[in-house]
Amino acid sequence: MALREVNSKMVEATVVPGQRLFSQRGAMLAYKGEVSFTPNIQGGQGGMMSMLGRRVAGEATPLMTVEGSGTVFFGHGGHHVQVITLTGDTLYVEADRLLAFEGTLQQGTMFMGSQGGVMGMVRGQVTGQGLFTTTLKGHGAVAVMAHGGVFEIPVTPQRPVHVDPQAYVAHHGDVRNKLSTALGWRDMVGRGSGEAFQLELSGNGMVYVQASEEKL
Amino acid sequence: MFRLQGSKVLAVEMTGDAVKAKNGSMVAYDGQMTFKKMSGGGEGLRGMVTRRLTGEQMTVMEVKGHGTCWFADRASEINLVGLQGDKLYVESSNLLATDAGLRTGTTFTGLRGASQGNGLFTTTVEGHGQAAIMSDGPAVVLRVSGQYPLTVDPGAYIAHQGNLRQSFQSGVTFRTFLGEGGGEAFQIRFEGDGLVYVQPSERNTIAGDV
Repeated sequence: MALREVNSKMVEATVVPGQRLFSQRGAMLAYKGEVSFTPNIQGGQGGMMSMLGRRVAGEATPLMTVEGSGTVFFGHGGHHVQVITLTGDTLYVEADRLLAFEGTLQQGTMFMGSQGGVMGMVRGQVTGQGLFTTTLKGHGAVAVMAHGGVFEIPVTPQRPVHVDPQAYVAHHGDVRNKLSTALGWRDMVGRGSGEAFQLELSGNGMVYVQASEEKL
Repeated sequence: MFRLQGSKVLAVEMTGDAVKAKNGSMVAYDGQMTFKKMSGGGEGLRGMVTRRLTGEQMTVMEVKGHGTCWFADRASEINLVGLQGDKLYVESSNLLATDAGLRTGTTFTGLRGASQGNGLFTTTVEGHGQAAIMSDGPAVVLRVSGQYPLTVDPGAYIAHQGNLRQSFQSGVTFRTFLGEGGGEAFQIRFEGDGLVYVQPSERNTIAGDV
């Protein structure tokens, strides 16, 4: 395992020659050993086309490549950090929540409309995620940032989970999500309960929720 | 049934009963839930008018259904308080959720309220059940007994329960007027028998400035 939580707000990454690591630019706190940091204009993996894709999608957070041998500490803005280990499945996460991830993972962008068509696009707008989201696929570890601690809720076919869009952090597994609305006349007259929109996640997997309704 | 998941998330198992919670504090749920805003803290027309007049406004929603509902608010630490017929005094901004067996109301606090920067009124919770209160940083529960009265900074006070008398203390001297105050010009003193919840952080109060 290349990523390890040192405390709730800091992760330690072990870098060995031949294995790359990506991290948000400027998120390095300290390092030991011979480690080099190169800014990555492409903003991640893939060639020219993926870079263009990310630029267009607005999912291009400045990343840097970490190479060499040693240990590096990452942290950013005092946000809580959660390490998620992927074993072959896909993690869906907002690009600005990514702190660091292993080079063994494949990075991609997904169009929200591809999950649920027009409703998917509406969902992206309502949740503030935009029309695109970042996906990471393969085997490896990812460090994700959140405001307040993160807790995980398993999603099973019998147990769909509803999440406040502002508190949603990430999800992985075979999960379909759709926006469910509970809009009533109360919301129209400004007497809403503040829970008019929810993300409904169903299928089989895990969803990560933060203990706050604040975006990063 | 209230349960803490970590220190910042409250998980509530529900089987058809209703829970009152701060508006918009739900972060996730499974099962079937409905959310309804209750005007005036769910205390009826009288409560609505009182809360308007006193400025102790509280936007509460009623959550009803079957399943688990998770609540959290801006990563505040959450403390569970069990009530067996006694009364809990808490600032409305620090109250996260109360279960079906509890009633909420407002009460006059006098000079203490003004020094806390929270107005002259505070919220009371009474009955049998559990309440969840929020604090900025993990709260400590301090016991007050006959021989041991307790003095608290108004900005760090969040709640108290039990049979307590409170009085307002001022440490204002001529130095305060010269701008040389220690920043601890006002305190609340608790006497009697009960518990006081104190947070490791201070709200902005008039008292803190002098």
